[in-house]
Amino acid sequence: MWIPSSLAEVEATIQATWGETPDLVVCRLNVRQLKKDVVLLYLDSLADKNSINNNVLQPLLFETHDATNVEEVAVLIGQKKYTNLWSEVETAVFQGESVLFIDGEQQALLLDTQGWPQRAIAEPQVESSIKGAHQGFIETSGKNIALIRRYLPNRELKVKELVVGRRGKTKVALLYLEDVTHPEVLKELEDRIRMIDVDAVVNTGELMQLIEDNPFSPFPQFLLTERPDAAVSNLLQGRIVVVVDRSPSVMIAPMSFIAFFQTIDDYSTRWMIATFLRLLRTLAFFIAIFLPSLYIAAISFHYELLPLNLILTVGESREQVPLPPILEAILMELAIEMLREAGLRLPAPIGQTVGIVGGVVIGQAAVQAGLVSNIMVVVVAITAIGSFIIPNPDMSESVRLIRFPMMIVSSLFGVIGMAIGLMILVIHLACLESLGTPFGSPFAPVRFRDWKDTVVRFPLWTMRSRPLSAHPIQLKRQTKTRK
Amino acid sequence: MAMTRIPQNEITIFQYVFFIVGAQIGIGILSLPADVAKGSGTDGWIAIIFGGVLSIIASLIIVSIMEQHPQDTIFDLLLRYFGKWFGKLLSLLFSLYAALAATTVVFTSIHLVQVWVLPQTSNYWIMILFMIPGFLAARQGVRILGRYAEIVFYMTLWMPLLIAVPLKDGHLLHLLPVIKEGWLPIIKTVKQTILSFLGFELAFLLYPYVKEKHLAKKGIIIANGISMAAFVFVTLVGFIFYSPDEITEYVWPTLSLLKTIEFPFMERFEIIFLAAYLFVLSTTGIPYIFTAVFGIAHVLEQYDHVRVLVVGVGLYIIVSFLYTPPFADLQAFSDWWGKTGTIVGYIFPVVLWLYMKLYQWLRGGKPS
Repeated sequence: MWIPSSLAEVEATIQATWGETPDLVVCRLNVRQLKKDVVLLYLDSLADKNSINNNVLQPLLFETHDATNVEEVAVLIGQKKYTNLWSEVETAVFQGESVLFIDGEQQALLLDTQGWPQRAIAEPQVESSIKGAHQGFIETSGKNIALIRRYLPNRELKVKELVVGRRGKTKVALLYLEDVTHPEVLKELEDRIRMIDVDAVVNTGELMQLIEDNPFSPFPQFLLTERPDAAVSNLLQGRIVVVVDRSPSVMIAPMSFIAFFQTIDDYSTRWMIATFLRLLRTLAFFIAIFLPSLYIAAISFHYELLPLNLILTVGESREQVPLPPILEAILMELAIEMLREAGLRLPAPIGQTVGIVGGVVIGQAAVQAGLVSNIMVVVVAITAIGSFIIPNPDMSESVRLIRFPMMIVSSLFGVIGMAIGLMILVIHLACLESLGTPFGSPFAPVRFRDWKDTVVRFPLWTMRSRPLSAHPIQLKRQTKTRK
Repeated sequence: MAMTRIPQNEITIFQYVFFIVGAQIGIGILSLPADVAKGSGTDGWIAIIFGGVLSIIASLIIVSIMEQHPQDTIFDLLLRYFGKWFGKLLSLLFSLYAALAATTVVFTSIHLVQVWVLPQTSNYWIMILFMIPGFLAARQGVRILGRYAEIVFYMTLWMPLLIAVPLKDGHLLHLLPVIKEGWLPIIKTVKQTILSFLGFELAFLLYPYVKEKHLAKKGIIIANGISMAAFVFVTLVGFIFYSPDEITEYVWPTLSLLKTIEFPFMERFEIIFLAAYLFVLSTTGIPYIFTAVFGIAHVLEQYDHVRVLVVGVGLYIIVSFLYTPPFADLQAFSDWWGKTGTIVGYIFPVVLWLYMKLYQWLRGGKPS
């Protein structure tokens, strides 16, 4: 539909388009520059009132030089667009822009006066860092892109903007380094996002689930982060950062399994300490998955595995426990999961109560009542801590989930069941792909050169090339600077 | 009728090597020291080296056959040279051979688990358990199997170190004198080592997927070399630790070696070892299951082998409900695998090679 040229018709169309919209401002005024009537249209809630008053209304009302057509109208706004399509007017109004219709003109002027409520930039709550930057992403994609650009003032950093959702019309921006990112990986991601046909994408997490490679995997195949420095570090490895408007976390794709166990602090810590911490996390990963199942296997099948002294301690502790080990373990694990979930969404003052209740009831009362054994409490506590050490919340949740089938299989088959469970995990990780790149890289397929930055972290100067997992087209990262 | 499923399904030369090593090191190595000791006493390790050389020669013949048609698996090749019906018959026989190998590995693994770890668990439960990873891996292509074989190889590198622990109580004297009874018993024992080296014949299936084809010959020599080193190593450790007569009394001397290992925090370490050894067994069993299923799907002209795999896995589970192989049957399985393996791995390549030369010569010297 074209924009009507007479103002009366414009007003009628506005009336028809926006029926029940109390925050819509339609303001008719006479402009001295043009010696014509104009209509200024904007949504009060999404536009910046100061900007409209100072930069639009003031010149329109008081500027005296002569303008003959739309292009010559003087306003103090840099980003001006012209359109003669009504649909574009609609979109623009909903984006917080103001629209200027001029009597007798087919074209309308779109002025960038956006200004909606937004939060100040703050440290991310979920991923806090000791040495990294203390700025986190916020809910406005423009600001988020700005945070990334601050790290990479480079013309190879490209931004590709897509719109997702019929109703939501979410702006989704793909950021990548053009000379590093593999074009086919980029195309794959772009195609997948373009294929999405939903009402609206409210959060990055939703977008991630709509485009992931294997929805039946327990593992997240893309990384969500609220940290600009983490996003940039991944950009430099040839990955693509997806900034979704209205969501404070950005998605990073393609991802590899091991990257979920790394934090940005690892690179700013000295390499020996970073390596130690990474090994600790790897250990924690296995403990979080296998410790309860090992306990079950050892108690119900292979007590001959344990030396005599240990078995006496365990036996003494389990003497009064009426439950079989698998029930005992599931009871305790469920209790701690419930505690966690309860503490997660409660306001901080009440959250502390949960901690006390959990600590006293589960730590002592359950043992004294003879419901569970002391050893089991220790096992559950270590397991819980193990799952907390995994830095990525998505991966930590996956690990917590995998623990339960492992416990069941080990209660049926002992260590053989655990071995088969691990085998299934290894096979699954070897099959899994992220945007068509191997998720298990650099372990399956094995790429020794990339092991420098996995469960260990070599000194930074030795990591001269980018990891292969995202198939970067430019491998060289830095030159050899020391011996 | 080009049913090659090669695009996007390449494996690296390392994956090819470890794929073959994985297929070779499996159940054979568990009983190998006793098997060769029965034939030629503590000179058995020399027989293994001869066996290795034989398998290298056979592998090289296989690779030179495959080189003639680098895009063909053995199943395509058989159709190309023997026509539709006879080619299909041969393909079916090859698949059945792989199925026999897979069955031997699966049932022996179940038996091992029952004897050493889970004496009370019925074999069908263990079969169902084993078939889960088996199905998940075998439904994928060669590429995933290659990746899996590669990572498992690195994951199991600690095992030889542990097997070496009993050496501290061993006596090198057991090995002397070398060649105490002449060469004849050694040559006769070579036959016993054939079963252990089987696995290289999977190059028939693997070759077209290899990315660096010019390295295929070197790769297969290295693969056989690694397996041979492992076999010789385990056998020597067994011979040094056990006395020459004692070792023949064990069914699985390699596992018995581990019974002597104890840690302050853990006794009966061989249980853990056996659980981890399931990974090694899986890289033997899964490739054979895959080969059998892939070949049968090829014969039935099914593009996707998953349906055949579902039937195969179902059959295994049903059979395991009805039939628990006693140890004698397992030995019969192994013997059959050894015999058919001699044909498929050693005789068949030579015959095929001669036949292809003849065929090409009749056709005017050019490969068809």
